[in-house]
Amino acid sequence: MADPSLFRLRVWFKKQGRCAMLAHLEVARTIEREIRRAHLPFAISNGFSPHMRISLGSALPVGVGGTKECFDVFLTQYVSPQRVMEQFASACAPDLAVTSCKYVGPHDPAPSAAYPISKYELVLTRPLAHELSVPETVTVVRKKKTRILQVSDFLVDPPQVSADKTTITFSTKAQSTGATMRPDVFVCALLSGQWPEIDAACQSEGHTLGLGHMAAAVDTLTRIDQRMI
Amino acid sequence: MRDLWPQVKALLPLVEHPVRYIDHEFGTVHRSADDDPNDTSYCMIYPDTYELGQANQAVRILVNAVNAHPHMFAERAYLPAADFIDLMRAHDLPLFSMESCAPVADFDIVGITLPHELAATNVLETLDLAGIPLHSHDRTEDDPFVVAGGPCTYNPEPYAQFFDAICIGEGEEQTVEIVDAVRAGRAAHKSRKEILEDLADISGMYVPSFYELSDNETAKKTGYAVHPINPHAKQVIEKRIWEGFADSSAWEPCVVPYAELVHDRLNIEILRGCARGCRFCQAGMTYRPVRERSADNIVKSALEGLKKTGYDEVSLTSLSSTDHSQIREILTRLNKALEGTGTRVSIPSQRLDAFGVGMAELVAGKKRGGLTFAIEAGTQRLRDVINKNVTEENIFSAVDQAFHAGWHHCKLYFMVGLPTETDDDLRGIADITQRVYEAAKKAIDPRQKNRLKVGISLAVFVPKSQTPFQWDGQISPEEAQRRINIVRDAITNRGIDVSWHDPRSSFVEAIMSRGGRECGPLIEQAWKNGARFDAWREFFDEDAWRHAGDEVGIDVDSIAQRNFDFDEVLPWQHITSGVHTSFLRLERKRAEQEKVTPDCTFAGCTGCGLCTDRGIDFETQEVRHG
Ligand code: SF4
Repeated sequence: MADPSLFRLRVWFKKQGRCAMLAHLEVARTIEREIRRAHLPFAISNGFSPHMRISLGSALPVGVGGTKECFDVFLTQYVSPQRVMEQFASACAPDLAVTSCKYVGPHDPAPSAAYPISKYELVLTRPLAHELSVPETVTVVRKKKTRILQVSDFLVDPPQVSADKTTITFSTKAQSTGATMRPDVFVCALLSGQWPEIDAACQSEGHTLGLGHMAAAVDTLTRIDQRMI
Repeated sequence: MRDLWPQVKALLPLVEHPVRYIDHEFGTVHRSADDDPNDTSYCMIYPDTYELGQANQAVRILVNAVNAHPHMFAERAYLPAADFIDLMRAHDLPLFSMESCAPVADFDIVGITLPHELAATNVLETLDLAGIPLHSHDRTEDDPFVVAGGPCTYNPEPYAQFFDAICIGEGEEQTVEIVDAVRAGRAAHKSRKEILEDLADISGMYVPSFYELSDNETAKKTGYAVHPINPHAKQVIEKRIWEGFADSSAWEPCVVPYAELVHDRLNIEILRGCARGCRFCQAGMTYRPVRERSADNIVKSALEGLKKTGYDEVSLTSLSSTDHSQIREILTRLNKALEGTGTRVSIPSQRLDAFGVGMAELVAGKKRGGLTFAIEAGTQRLRDVINKNVTEENIFSAVDQAFHAGWHHCKLYFMVGLPTETDDDLRGIADITQRVYEAAKKAIDPRQKNRLKVGISLAVFVPKSQTPFQWDGQISPEEAQRRINIVRDAITNRGIDVSWHDPRSSFVEAIMSRGGRECGPLIEQAWKNGARFDAWREFFDEDAWRHAGDEVGIDVDSIAQRNFDFDEVLPWQHITSGVHTSFLRLERKRAEQEKVTPDCTFAGCTGCGLCTDRGIDFETQEVRHG
């Protein structure tokens, strides 16, 4: 991967508003098109189907936004960060816009591994009805496989509730194996028991992934920071 | 207009692929605060999901055409997927447009394209979800004008009662004229009927409510199945031709989607029409005359489009792209300009000969996956009947060249149920396929031998209106299965993969293509019985259609399978693509005699009548290479 003849540019961007609805692959595809529209001198891989040399940061689930998301793109020529920003200005959809960039070294960790700690902000459409109680476990069902995660293995900063009880922040970390706890699944578990009608809707539909009916109480769920340990 | 986004947003976490509904994509054109709220509004609808409709070129062209004019604007809408439709109904959320997320029913004009014969129940689903009365005669002054366009309007009769007006032919100019007529009519406080009369005055417009079905005797006398009952209605509706096509830019600004879609790439329409004259092909008759855009225009447009959209693939689209007289020059220039950018050039279909494969080689780069060859019929006799001007020599030189050049699989397309087809022709499909396999095995690099794959795909022939086979009935579903089985059983080579389109839905296509007004109630009943998304194998509900036939008293099989006599009045006789019925009749006779007719762009005019009537000519950039 490391190719000293290439310039490795780390670019931060926002995934917000309607674009919070995008899946990781859709973000990846859109980013690639933004790079092409910005006319950056991106490097191309060799091989049967040449593609852009780009590597994305850790994934966000559908419905979860981010204000400090990142990717690396390898350039064949140096372009000043200021110029890069100018070229991105007209190339991006506003809800998936580039915010800053800097060059990183060829041996720095990949963006998906560089920042294991994620800080999330949850904005509710209504104040919490009761004190929050952090669940001990969350259950993730995917493709009919059920996994039970210990919350304490992932949660590094417990939920902090704002004075008006509508904003909650918390941080999670990825394990060294790469395993993560999905923030939306955690939020569903965290908020269950707050509003009986939403609990009932969640029960009846049996949503096990994503916010599902809990979305009625959620204005936004956003990763507001990613950092090293 | 009302903004339904808050309601839409609240439901999105509950649906599959919410990305289909969020809009705000790169290239979307939104209304701004400076725009006049009284501008006349046009909503262009593709009656299937976003994945299928987003790339539709007609939708793009017409939206751009309307937006280019003052005092009017256009937005797009698509039919949501079934899960969201059901949820929307449960929450009283009507169909909305993409850009403004406004109720479709609030637009002045709603245009629905009819892209294929299996979209009829989706049209009703679309109207119902929008809260627009299904029948033209139930719509009132406040309802939008509901207009149809697209390939299936060449037999508009099954859809007649659902549309206020139907556009025949190319809509680039006509759509703007429609919006303008509605704008002027509303400004002058004209009644709905008066505005419809203005629409009927536009060339190429058919206003079905201004016609009545004729009794047999009148039909025989006039030669038409319907007659006008309003002075603005013409007896014969001639298709519109956009004469500016060849000289217009091939770069059609488009929205770049977030979602993964079918055909998600830059499309550059390099030519329109195809005059090869395959007798089963409706597009080949209805998109005449052939018009090519120039190599300069195409190369410049492709590069500009790539730059503006960020796509990594450009497709040079048309009915027969490798027939473009400058195709080699276009591909060579594009390859050179795009070198080192990881951008692919593709052509949707290639000619079935060594030249066609040569062109495919030019664009394939190092990646040589699969090639598709539409051979259509298994014997030379039947290929002559259908005027598929392809010889065994063409086929085998194409196969030989392709496998020499590094491809390792190819797929052959055939039809079953073509007029005059016998069991020998079916065994001929098996025979030629096995010989293609052997030829491929010989040509392929011996080290690649275990990657060799040859497949065939069989489709049941659907006779189409406005073609030389418009008089021919379709074979029954049982007969179709029997014929498919003959081919399947005759292919003994285990290396050949045989697949076929489910013949169950073919009768619906045949009915839509050649049915009359009596089929309107059938569509409606089928939809009431739950039919929708008929083109989706997993949704197609045969019983819904068959029961509908019983309920409205129509024998669906007999409509699909009926043969018309040459002197019978056809339900769509009042609609013309410009190709004379006498030419179609002559072509049908030549089919019977196994005589072929050449392509007029190679061999000179063959007398279909269109150009002579209109005082135009086909437009190629250079002499075409046969
Ligand atoms: S009139 Fe002649 S030249 Fe024109 S499309 Fe028909 S056959 Fe071709």
